[in-house]
Amino acid sequence: MTSGSITRDRPGANHPAARNAGAAFRQVVRAEWIKFASVRGWVIGMIVAALLILLFGVFLAGNASIGCGPTLSGAACLPKIPIGPGGEAVTDSFYFARQPLSGNGSLTVRVTSLTTMIAAGGGQASPVGQGPRNPLANMRKGVEPWAKAGIIIAASTRQGSAYAAIMVTASYGVRMQYNYVHDTAGLPGRVSPAAPRWLRLTRNGNVISGYDSADGKHWLLVGTASLAGLPGTVQAGPFATSPIYNKVQPFFGGASIQSGPSQATAVMDDITRNGRWPAASWTGDDIGGRGNTPGTGVGYFRQSGGTMSISGSGDIAPVVPGPGSFYPTTSIEQPLMTIFIGLIAVVVVAAMFFTAEYRRGLIRITLAATPNRACVLAAKAVVAASAAFVAALVASVIAVSLGVSRMHAEGQFVLPVSTLTEVRVLVGTAAMVAVTAVLAVAVGAIMRRSAAAVTTAIVVIVLPFLLSVAVLPANAANWVLRLTPAAGFAVEQSIPNYPQVTSIVSPAGGTYPLSPWAGFGVLCLWVAAALVLATVLLRRRDA
Amino acid sequence: MTATMDALRAEWLKLRTVSSSPWLMAGVVALTVGVGAAVMAANKCPAGTGCLEDTTKLSLTGTQFGQAVVAILAVLPVCDEYSTGMIRVTLAAIPRRPAVLAAKAAIIGGLALVAGGVAILGSLLAARLVLPGQGAYAADGFRALSLADNSTLRAAAGSVLYLGLVALFSTGLAALIRDSAVTIGVVFGALYLFPIVAAFVANPVWHRRLERYSPMAGLNIQATTGLKDLAVGPWAGLGVLAIWAAVALLAGGLTMALRDA
Amino acid sequence: MEATIEVAGLRKRYGSAVALDGMSFTVQPGQVTGFVGPNGAGKSTTMRVILGLDAPDEGRALVAGRPYASLPHPMRYLGSLLDASALQPSRSARNHLRWLAASQGLSAQRVAEVIQQAGLKDVASRKAGGFSLGMRQRLGLAAAMLGDPMILMLDEPFNGLDPEGIVWMREFLRALARQGRALLVSSHLMSELEDTADHLVVVGRGKVVADTSVAALLAAAAGGRVTLRTTAVPEAASVLDRVGATVAASGRDVLTISGLPAERVVTLLTRNAVPFSEVSAQRVTLEQAYLELTSDAIEFRAEPAAVPSEFPGVTP
Repeated sequence: MTSGSITRDRPGANHPAARNAGAAFRQVVRAEWIKFASVRGWVIGMIVAALLILLFGVFLAGNASIGCGPTLSGAACLPKIPIGPGGEAVTDSFYFARQPLSGNGSLTVRVTSLTTMIAAGGGQASPVGQGPRNPLANMRKGVEPWAKAGIIIAASTRQGSAYAAIMVTASYGVRMQYNYVHDTAGLPGRVSPAAPRWLRLTRNGNVISGYDSADGKHWLLVGTASLAGLPGTVQAGPFATSPIYNKVQPFFGGASIQSGPSQATAVMDDITRNGRWPAASWTGDDIGGRGNTPGTGVGYFRQSGGTMSISGSGDIAPVVPGPGSFYPTTSIEQPLMTIFIGLIAVVVVAAMFFTAEYRRGLIRITLAATPNRACVLAAKAVVAASAAFVAALVASVIAVSLGVSRMHAEGQFVLPVSTLTEVRVLVGTAAMVAVTAVLAVAVGAIMRRSAAAVTTAIVVIVLPFLLSVAVLPANAANWVLRLTPAAGFAVEQSIPNYPQVTSIVSPAGGTYPLSPWAGFGVLCLWVAAALVLATVLLRRRDA
Repeated sequence: MTATMDALRAEWLKLRTVSSSPWLMAGVVALTVGVGAAVMAANKCPAGTGCLEDTTKLSLTGTQFGQAVVAILAVLPVCDEYSTGMIRVTLAAIPRRPAVLAAKAAIIGGLALVAGGVAILGSLLAARLVLPGQGAYAADGFRALSLADNSTLRAAAGSVLYLGLVALFSTGLAALIRDSAVTIGVVFGALYLFPIVAAFVANPVWHRRLERYSPMAGLNIQATTGLKDLAVGPWAGLGVLAIWAAVALLAGGLTMALRDA
Repeated sequence: MEATIEVAGLRKRYGSAVALDGMSFTVQPGQVTGFVGPNGAGKSTTMRVILGLDAPDEGRALVAGRPYASLPHPMRYLGSLLDASALQPSRSARNHLRWLAASQGLSAQRVAEVIQQAGLKDVASRKAGGFSLGMRQRLGLAAAMLGDPMILMLDEPFNGLDPEGIVWMREFLRALARQGRALLVSSHLMSELEDTADHLVVVGRGKVVADTSVAALLAAAAGGRVTLRTTAVPEAASVLDRVGATVAASGRDVLTISGLPAERVVTLLTRNAVPFSEVSAQRVTLEQAYLELTSDAIEFRAEPAAVPSEFPGVTP
């Protein structure tokens, strides 16, 4: 054998590709990609991972609910949930003492008291339409932190219509809220006859501004809301409402949740109207009615002299999934809850992608070809992450689209989200799987033995997840999901944890203690740490 | 008979002279006791009502982690033989392949029982030390965990058996799959899949099925209270795992007998 | 670029075992440098250090004047074959070469060329795990040739080759040297290198024992030793002793003379009328010369084989 005709340029330090680090890295990535794709077992492993994600996702989507009873099925089961102006499912039940307001104007009140009643014994909310004649008879005094009363300007009395409101709350001071998802804090402290709060809403075109004051003289702007398409005549007036009361009782090895409706009653005076208010008096309206409402369905307002007492139950807020929410709902990421199964397959393949180098000394050839060890590690990480990303993305997209239509067909209310959120859930989930693959590659480089690497990678990400959904009490589980790589699962959550809605954080219910990207960030920090350690060890150790 | 004894002795020597085995056994103990103690330390009994929970079961929570190490302890001796080619030497020495697997399973199972025994006793001991600080007071009707108590004894002995069965299950799968990484992935998948999926599945039929036919149904042996709410009883649950282990060993044995080494 | 490998003062220990103890030598272009020494002498460790796989405790190794790890696309400078079995068994030969080519920025065309040259065309699509040792050697060689490097470093390339393969390998290595390439070829069997190497680096216990051309080594080892058969041993001895030669009796009427060429011995004996029946210059094989050099540098020596009369403990 003689050296064949070589048409390339001679090797030398001035080889054009050699001068470009980026091009060199691309070549190593390509080399690693050929390595990955030329081992059939690994390619099959990634396909298996995708199938596991897909099949278990669709299975879960079909079996995640208890159903709604023997008589109803399918779409008849769907709860009637109002949709807010932002397209999200909302709770919109409150007692409204209203008058039409034509054009620009303002409304000012003084609130002197806010008291709440909660269901005695914390009994379950009465089934829809079957409640006792007077639900208030079974209630006792208690504190529901998000009980609220104040003044509201709403586009109409239809549930889900655009609004802006300024209110006092039982535990969170004065708040300006609008269009269900927006919430701004005003004056802190609890309202009482000794510490009353003045509240004011002014309308100017589409812009509504909320002010508060502790003395009726000095006013502070709390916030402004721009409500697109607000009609010329709006409904405005005092309101009161109070959400489902949840009492989480943590105990050794678990937690119990007691839920029931609560009722807020507020006393207001100094009601001042500016602008054109064509009606002579206030009209009482139980928005949401007595039927499909998270409240007691009992509301009223009474006037004596200049004082109005108003009482209502329900909530004006976005609907969140999970226990403690009035409406039985599910979310688009439900079919992705079993992604950890596919993750195990990804971890096995990705870890072997590195450890296989050590099994027969192939690492020596690899490092003779590319002496820059960090570069080899990075290239492997890129290849494993890309393969995992594609597998997970394809599987997630199909699982979610099949799963959501299946859940819908079975009468589950899938909380609507924006396309952007849906993309974030799907891409984020695939990214989470990809980053986990990088973790497995790094652990493979650290451990050098596939058994140890696979075990470590699974133990640090899948076991904390198992512990938090199936073993640990909620508070401990939340710490696990903040600190361990399993925090990355948070990227699946489509409905945010609204601070103005008391939700019970539990991954089994689809809510995580960290926001999606923060959780993903925690996972990334772990992966970065593993990569650094792997690089140091790769450089230090003889191959 | 002597052939079987020879196979057993050979496997015992092999396993004893691999440095990883003692470390893994220590890992079983450390992880089981450590996680158990951590879970108990992370909890407080509610004031007033006292610890009326199943403290025995809680103190043995570490088993769910310890079993992962037991699985590795069982998978490595089998898969390493295949990755190094040692299996050919082994089969040249003992051509009766089922005897090789049986001997391996017996030795591995024995090691798992020993490690499991220490781990479970350690967990109960840790519980006796940690629980009083967590609001578990005798005045509230809490009794310190004791093996003299029949249900606690069953939970403890059953947990040790559980770890032994996990070892057999893993040994069988290892002989079936041969590659350590893939085997460990499959073992972990089989163990943890059922409880996590069950946590999300609300459909009562499927929820019950998942809880019932799971290998981890064997952990029902740790329950000392609320037995009638279990999807499958304590001993029956252990039986479910035993069936999984038997099927895995059978499949592994058949593969070994029929497939080229 | 200078096609050389320079190794200077390498030291490395693994725990208490000294692997390299001041290893220094240079590999020149245009010739095959044999790298010989008994097992455990430090050949493979030196080669790993040259490739930057292992870090030496002291000293340095330069390839084409630079540390290997600093070379861009290093396989275009130095092609190496350390362990022919270092393969992913489930990957085909062609794919093995493809990823290597990609890492060096080489084209798929080049992969086809080396497959052709190494005679792997028919098996290129088969999984490398099923290859015989000889085929793996060919695959390893193809990988080393991929970057058409001016320097080649081969660890025990004759291992596992059949006689035909050994002849082919020799021709191949010689042809590469003729093209002006520098070759470092290790072996623990000197006979394998006898007709291949131009230059020898003999190592033992982690350092160089001899760094010499093959011809010089043979001459030095033979040392001008002459065998003399004569019936007049005392007379011959005194004659030769007088001119300063070293004389040793190596048989009843056989003397071994060193320090004097055969012609001088004949002249001296004839002039002094000492009868003799045979004078012959000793011919030394490279193997003998090597054994002589390394006799005190062998770390593990087998005990002389004892033939047991029976195997104790074994009962039929």
